[in-house]
Amino acid sequence: MIKRLILPLIALCALSGLAYGEAAAPAAAPVAITDADLKNVTPPKAEDRAKGDADGSVTGTVGDVTVSDAKKGLTLPDLVNQVGQNKIAINFVWTLITGYLVMFMQLGFALLETGLCRAKNANHTMMMNVGVYGIGMFAYWAVGFSLQMGGVGGVANLGGIPPLSAEYTATLFGKPWGLFGQTGMFLSMRGNYDVAVMVLFLFQMVFMDTGATIPTGAAAERWKFTGFAVTSALFAAFTYPLFANWAWGGGWLSTLGTNYGLGKGYVDFAGSGVVHAVGGLTALAIAIVLGPRIGKYSRDGKPHAILAHDIVLVLTGCLILAFGWFGFNPGSTLGASGNGALRIGSIAVATMLASATGMLTAMLYMWLVYGKPDASMTGNGFLAGLVAITAPSGFVSPIGAAIIGAIAGVLVCISVAYVERVLKVDDPVGAVSVHGTCGIWGVIAVGLFADGKSNYGGSWNGVTGSVTGLFYGDSTQLIAQLIGVATLLGFVFVLSFVFAVIVDKVVGQRTSARSELDGLDLPEMGALAYPEFEIRVPSIQ
Amino acid sequence: MAILGLLLAVAGMAVSILSLTITANPTGRLAIVLAGIAISLFGIAGLVNRAYLKNAIWRKK
Repeated sequence: MIKRLILPLIALCALSGLAYGEAAAPAAAPVAITDADLKNVTPPKAEDRAKGDADGSVTGTVGDVTVSDAKKGLTLPDLVNQVGQNKIAINFVWTLITGYLVMFMQLGFALLETGLCRAKNANHTMMMNVGVYGIGMFAYWAVGFSLQMGGVGGVANLGGIPPLSAEYTATLFGKPWGLFGQTGMFLSMRGNYDVAVMVLFLFQMVFMDTGATIPTGAAAERWKFTGFAVTSALFAAFTYPLFANWAWGGGWLSTLGTNYGLGKGYVDFAGSGVVHAVGGLTALAIAIVLGPRIGKYSRDGKPHAILAHDIVLVLTGCLILAFGWFGFNPGSTLGASGNGALRIGSIAVATMLASATGMLTAMLYMWLVYGKPDASMTGNGFLAGLVAITAPSGFVSPIGAAIIGAIAGVLVCISVAYVERVLKVDDPVGAVSVHGTCGIWGVIAVGLFADGKSNYGGSWNGVTGSVTGLFYGDSTQLIAQLIGVATLLGFVFVLSFVFAVIVDKVVGQRTSARSELDGLDLPEMGALAYPEFEIRVPSIQ
Repeated sequence: MAILGLLLAVAGMAVSILSLTITANPTGRLAIVLAGIAISLFGIAGLVNRAYLKNAIWRKK
C-alpha cells in the first residue's frame, strides 16, 4: 500500500524536476518568418470549398488576406497590414454597435418620461424626446463636435485620428490650458472626411444626445416647444461640447495630471459628469427658470404628487435604458482589441452590478420609509446606479461597483425629496436627482474607488500608470475629480442658466396657463396622443 | 439676487481652480476645492433658486 503511494510521488517529483529543468534552460532563438514561409501556406482547394463549409474550417484562411501585388503573392508586409486592419476593424465594429445601443436609449428616455407625465401631455413629451435627436444632432454636427473633439489628437484604438488635432490652448498660471477644438465643423474641414472620424462622431453624437434629452424630463408638462428646440440646440452646440472637450477632448481638466500632478487628471470613463451631470444641471437650471407646474405646490408651499399616467411605460423605459447602458459603458473603451480593451467584460459586469444594487437600495429605502416599494422610485434607483457607475466603470472592482450603485440608490431617493420639498423645484421625472446628483456622485466615486488594476495602454490622460482612488492610495485623484465637480457647478449650471434666461426673454420658455391646464398635446403639437381617451382636467388647488 | 447667486457659483469654481496655484499640499488643495464647491452650491441653491421662488406660480393669488 505504502509502495503504491510512494512510487507515483517519486514519479511526480521527477517530472516536476524535469519541467523545472526545461524552464530554466535558455529560450530557443526566435525563428524569423520570411516571405518564402508564407508561400507554403496554401488556401483550401476550390473543389473543397465548393462542397460547402459546414464546420467553418475552410472559410477565413490565407486566401482571404489581401495581397498588394499579385505577382509577388503574399508577403510579410501584407500579413502585418492585415493584422493591423483587423484590430482597427474590430474596434470600429465594436464602437459602432455600442453606439447604436446608446442611440436605442433614446427610446428608453422617451417611454420613461412620457409614462411619468400625464396622458394629456403624452404627445408633447414624446415629441421632445424625438425632436431632441434631430435638433441636437444638427447642432452637434455643425458646431458641437468641432468644439468637443477638434483637438483630441490621437485615439489609438481607432487608428489615431490625426485630422482632429487643432485644440485652442491658452496659457494660464504658466501651463497650457486646452479650451476648445477648432476643426470638424460639418465634418468637412482639414481631412475630417475620414473613416475613423466618422466612427468617433457617431459614438460621441449619441452620447451628447443622451445628455440633451435629460432636461426634457425635468421641464416636462410646461415647456414651450419653441423654447425646448432653441435650448436643445444651444446645449448640443456649446454647453455639452465645452465641458466634454475639457474632460475628453484634450482640454484642461484632462491635463490636471500632467500639469499639476493630480492623479491622472479629471477622469470620467463614460460620462457620469460629461453626460449625466451636465444634463442634470442643465435640467435644474431650466426647471428653476420655468417654475413648477400648476397644482404642484399649494400656497403654503406644500408639494402635491402629480401621478404618472402609465407605469408600464416607465419601467419598460428603465429596462431599455439599462440595456442601452451596455453600449454606453463598455463601448467607451472605443475598441475591443488592444490597449487594455479586454476590460470590456469587467466594465459590463460593473455596470450590471451597480444597476442591481441601485435598484435594490432604492426599493428597500422606499419600502422602509414610505411603506411600499414604489415603482417609479425603484426605476429611478435602477437608473441612479447606472448613472453613478458610468464614470468609474472602467476602473473599479465588482465590489466597488456594487457599493457605488447601492449608495446611488439611496442618494436618489433623498435627493428627489430634497429637490421637491426644500428647493421646491418641480422635476416631474426626477432627472435632476438621477442624472445631476448621481452623476456628481459617480465623478467623486472615481476618486475613491478606482483600484489601480486597469491598464489602458499603460497610461491615462498622458500620465503613466493606472487610475487609482483614495481608498487605494492616491488622494490627488479625488482632488482632480472634485475640481471637475466645481466646474460642473460653476460653469455648466451658470451657462445653462444664462441660456435658459435668454431663451425665455427671446422666444419664451413656458406655455400659457390655459395650455398647461388643457394639456400641451393640442396647443403645442396640434394632436392628442390618445384621441379616443376622455382626459379629465383637474381643478387648480 | 439671482445674478449674485450666479456670480457666487462662478466664484466657487474659481476658488477650486486657484487651489492649483495656492498650495501643492494635497490636504490643503482638497480643503480649498471643497470650500469652492460649497460656495457654488450656496450660490445655486441659496440664492439663484430662492430668487426665483419669490415669484413662483403657487405664491400668486
